[in-house]
Amino acid sequence: MSFIKNYLERQICERRQFLLLSAYGLGGMAVSSALKTKTARAAVQNPKIAWSYRDRTNPYWNSIVAGGDAFVRSLGRPSDSLINLINEGSSEKSLADIKSLLSRYGSQVALAADPNDMPNCRPVVEAVCSAGAYISTIWNKTDDLHPWDFGDNYVSHMTWSDVGPSEQTARVLFDAMGGKGGVVHLGGIASNNPAIERLQGLKNALKSYPNIELLAVQAADWDTQKANQVMSGFLTRYGDAVKGVHCASDTMAYGVIEALRAEAIEGMPIVSYDGNPQAVGLVAQGKLLATVFTNPYWGGGITAALAYYAATGVFKPSSEPKEHREFYGPATLVTTKDASEFKSKYIDSNPEYDWKSLWSFTSGPIKYKS
Amino acid sequence: MSTLLTADMIRKWAPVLVLIGLVLLFTTINPHFFSLRNFARITISSTPALMVAVGVTFVILMGSIDLSMEGTIAVCAVLFALILNIFGGSISGIGWLAIPGALLAGAFLGAVNGIVHVQLKIPSFMASLSLGFIGIGLSLLITGGNRILIDDPVFRSLLTFRIMGFPLMVYAALLCLMVAWFIQDDTVIGRNFYAVGGGEDLARASGLNVGRLRIIGFTLAGIFYALGAIFAVARLGIAETETGRNFMFTSITSVVVGGTALRGGSGGVWSTLVGVLIVNVIGNGMVVTGLPDYFQDGVLGILVIFAVYLSTDRRSLSFIK
Amino acid sequence: MFELRNVEKRYPGVHVLKGVDFSVGDGEIVGLVGENGAGKSTLMKIIYGAVQHDAGDVLVDGENVHFRNPRDAMKRGIGMVYQEQSLIPNLTVMENIFLGFEEPFVYFGSINWRKMAAAARKQLEKVKLNISPSTLTSKLTFAQRQLVELAKVLTLEERTEGKLVILLDEPTSVLSKEEIDLLFTLVKELRRRASFIFVSHRLDEIIELSDRIYVLKDGVVVDTIDGETANAADIQKKMVGRDIHSQYYREDRQSSFDKNNVLLELEHVTIAGRGNDVSLALHAGEVIALLGVEGSGREPILRTIFGMQKPEKGTIKIRGEPVNAFSAARSVAHGIAYVPRERKIEGIASGMNVFENMTLSQMKNYSWGGILKVPSERALARDWIHRLSVKVPSENTDCGNLSGGNQQKVVLAKWRSGGSDIILLDHPTRGLDIGAKEDVYDMIRDMSQDGVGIILVADTLEEAIGLSHTIAVIRDGEIRQWFTCLPGSKPSPFDLIQHMV
Repeated sequence: MSFIKNYLERQICERRQFLLLSAYGLGGMAVSSALKTKTARAAVQNPKIAWSYRDRTNPYWNSIVAGGDAFVRSLGRPSDSLINLINEGSSEKSLADIKSLLSRYGSQVALAADPNDMPNCRPVVEAVCSAGAYISTIWNKTDDLHPWDFGDNYVSHMTWSDVGPSEQTARVLFDAMGGKGGVVHLGGIASNNPAIERLQGLKNALKSYPNIELLAVQAADWDTQKANQVMSGFLTRYGDAVKGVHCASDTMAYGVIEALRAEAIEGMPIVSYDGNPQAVGLVAQGKLLATVFTNPYWGGGITAALAYYAATGVFKPSSEPKEHREFYGPATLVTTKDASEFKSKYIDSNPEYDWKSLWSFTSGPIKYKS
Repeated sequence: MSTLLTADMIRKWAPVLVLIGLVLLFTTINPHFFSLRNFARITISSTPALMVAVGVTFVILMGSIDLSMEGTIAVCAVLFALILNIFGGSISGIGWLAIPGALLAGAFLGAVNGIVHVQLKIPSFMASLSLGFIGIGLSLLITGGNRILIDDPVFRSLLTFRIMGFPLMVYAALLCLMVAWFIQDDTVIGRNFYAVGGGEDLARASGLNVGRLRIIGFTLAGIFYALGAIFAVARLGIAETETGRNFMFTSITSVVVGGTALRGGSGGVWSTLVGVLIVNVIGNGMVVTGLPDYFQDGVLGILVIFAVYLSTDRRSLSFIK
Repeated sequence: MFELRNVEKRYPGVHVLKGVDFSVGDGEIVGLVGENGAGKSTLMKIIYGAVQHDAGDVLVDGENVHFRNPRDAMKRGIGMVYQEQSLIPNLTVMENIFLGFEEPFVYFGSINWRKMAAAARKQLEKVKLNISPSTLTSKLTFAQRQLVELAKVLTLEERTEGKLVILLDEPTSVLSKEEIDLLFTLVKELRRRASFIFVSHRLDEIIELSDRIYVLKDGVVVDTIDGETANAADIQKKMVGRDIHSQYYREDRQSSFDKNNVLLELEHVTIAGRGNDVSLALHAGEVIALLGVEGSGREPILRTIFGMQKPEKGTIKIRGEPVNAFSAARSVAHGIAYVPRERKIEGIASGMNVFENMTLSQMKNYSWGGILKVPSERALARDWIHRLSVKVPSENTDCGNLSGGNQQKVVLAKWRSGGSDIILLDHPTRGLDIGAKEDVYDMIRDMSQDGVGIILVADTLEEAIGLSHTIAVIRDGEIRQWFTCLPGSKPSPFDLIQHMV
């Protein structure tokens, strides 16, 4: 039961840290505004490293934080020196936590953050920059906000484009179906950007497979149980016409697999997305045809590393090219052929990354729609 | 009087009529709906929900409310998987201990819930809601946010082994329903649930220990949540904090739609069965008929209002002095 | 002048009013009596607009009117003083008086409280109530609330042109004798402003107050009696349609009790929050009546004996054994039974059927290892339904649908069948019609004969005198005087009232 003990210790530690921060934040607000400076500061010696993210209940964010921890340890610091700011899906909490952090440590902060939603990114970045601290963001940013408009303090933004990889999984699926037959898509929460992109990828692939028919698209809200029920419904509605399943996430694919298992249907081609450890395992067993690995472990580490090395002056962000300030994160297609190898390399253990090689796994500059 | 009686009958059977109406409606739109295989699918998705709804039925019969099910299910599911995996990973070995283990955990959480509600005199609404959050936190603590997989073929035969087209878990759930029915109709505890829900002052004046009864009710509910958790794990082979998700809304909706009044004292587990089937028939039917998913929540909402309207209208109907 | 001509009302399956003629002259006080179910409440609802008649005419000053709701009726000067008081407890007196009629005091959306208070004071003067209009209603006594209700209805005076007709539905049921006298004086004075329709179960009051009395039976006005010449026995006979038992309270069946068998003893008991000192002894076969005005402290004594309240001081002994723990459960186990005044709340669980209600207090006798023995429950219920001639189709009938008398029989059967021999009866005949009351009196005598000790809080003075062996007069929580009530030498109401007030 040592994991419980560890977890408790970590939580208590975070809690204490956070309470101190909040308390200090109230008193320190005035101080911070007095010290507020717009000019980029000279390199900081030993900045505090912090990660602001959603929650611990899902494997994705767990991997992100594990990467952050690994980076912190690579600096020779204890892993609990990484400050966790958990926003629980609230932009207000996200901003408030970051502000307390800044009023406590001022410019001595290297922050990695997912601002929770796109509009929240600007106030977060502005708060960090006006404190003279350094920030790297992932996922949520409006299109008109760019790191290079903030000098050195807004170091970088990384996001993932899901259209291309999702198209690749669709092609794997269609090939397995022999290029013909009906396919169903189980989507994420309809308004989520990744859900939209992953469906778009499927539609792009459909253009080159005229004999594949997209039977139905239904949101299953990233939820295993809901996906299970939706898949059952599809089986009633289309029966044997369903020849393949395209899932927008691994979690939903598990529900689909179980719905098929209940009906004793075997060998149905299924593809998914996210590259969760369980899904990679299923790919290795052949129960899934493919998933896409976005390497959250590396993403979590490298985002913190970017902020940290900019803060300590190892590199000067404003002298870097734009594709080093805004870029797509890695997206690796995992298929039955390479799954076992992939699993032992990336899932069963995490490779030793060189955290100083900042852009080694990125996939090019962000392309905006218009 | 005869007209009143028929009005009574209509109210009593309204949920069944709604269920039949829905089945006919969906069948008309897509004949595939009316098939043994599809009914099996509906019953599979109903099974965990039925257990949870039966549990909360007891609490609602007493005129209380329990919102702790999501947390309790998460804890029970995760503990069940953990114990099963520690004891060799198979129900056929000593892994069967996971079943009583999960039931005990459910009973314990339910009892804590009841004790907090009764002894600290916190309204059941608040007490159970808070304990639900504690349950979620506890299960996160145990899993660290990860999923626990169950691959025991013996245990999974609850889903994979079929008799007359329906998987084993459906029969197991029916058995549990019979037990619940027995508790409701043939035990002192069940009778007392109705008495407390029908009139707490009366129950007290008749010498019942209402506080203790409440605690028993919440404990019983906890045991049924644990059963729901086990079936949920059997259905997906995964135990995680998310296992409890959505059960609060669907179970309470089912109970109310089935015709058990939220003020307590009337209704029962059979009504709940009908309610659970209605909710799941809608869920399945919407996909089967290919209606857009955002209709689903809307229809469910309208249905709840309709059901509550039916169950609260009865007082004003007997206005003859 | 208000008149109903040949008014009919049917509910599904029931013909409630069968061609009722009814009239109220200006300044007249009209009594309306009838047994439960005779159609009184429906008739009243038609008068004040809560229910619409199916046929016939309603005339105000000779003009045919049709009320769609109580507000329509109010516009024509017809107001109702409700039996269950309709004031909202968390509002002030003036807010209640003008509830729904605030417009005259509203200026640009806000209420001029001073003006409203002045207007309210004027209304309160009409009923001679000297309280501040900004008092919270919950702080008033029942009698004061009743007067505020009356004041509220009297505001119609300023809003309508014609004379008022005011309905009083059982206005005296929660009042003390003193308060009743006050109310009656007031009503008599108000006659120059309004006519009254007075509904009550208490015939003596009806006779005292009314100019004319309508007797309603089975939806028909069977007689109209002049208030001057009316007598209670006559009216009762007309209401019931048969002669009343010459021994109404079954005094012929009153036998002496066993003086050596003390069932219950209170020794210098102080009721929580009362600072009093109560001692009494209840013997097997004895009926003790606790007599006093409303709020004199009769119910707290019953509740303390039943264990729902813990006494501050003193000892309670059951069959000689001192009681240490206080809970209803314990009392039930010791054979104490409590038949509360609020039958609907504490007596009968509606939604549960006859046998379920009967065994509720004695489930351990009808279960084995927590599992119910339903067949023996049913047998018990059938037996008692037969013994007490409860009018029910079967033991499966929902008790909520039974008449008051039958509900009371079920409650008594519940305790008697469980072997309780100390029975506390709080207003056991309240709201029952005469036939059902007689049944209850018979049951009380039966129980006495079986050696059951009964403590009774009666509905009327006469009932207490008629039924009891011993009377304890209570004032301000203390027993002030004991009376022995042997048949033939019973104290008179006058003797008792002197000690009550």
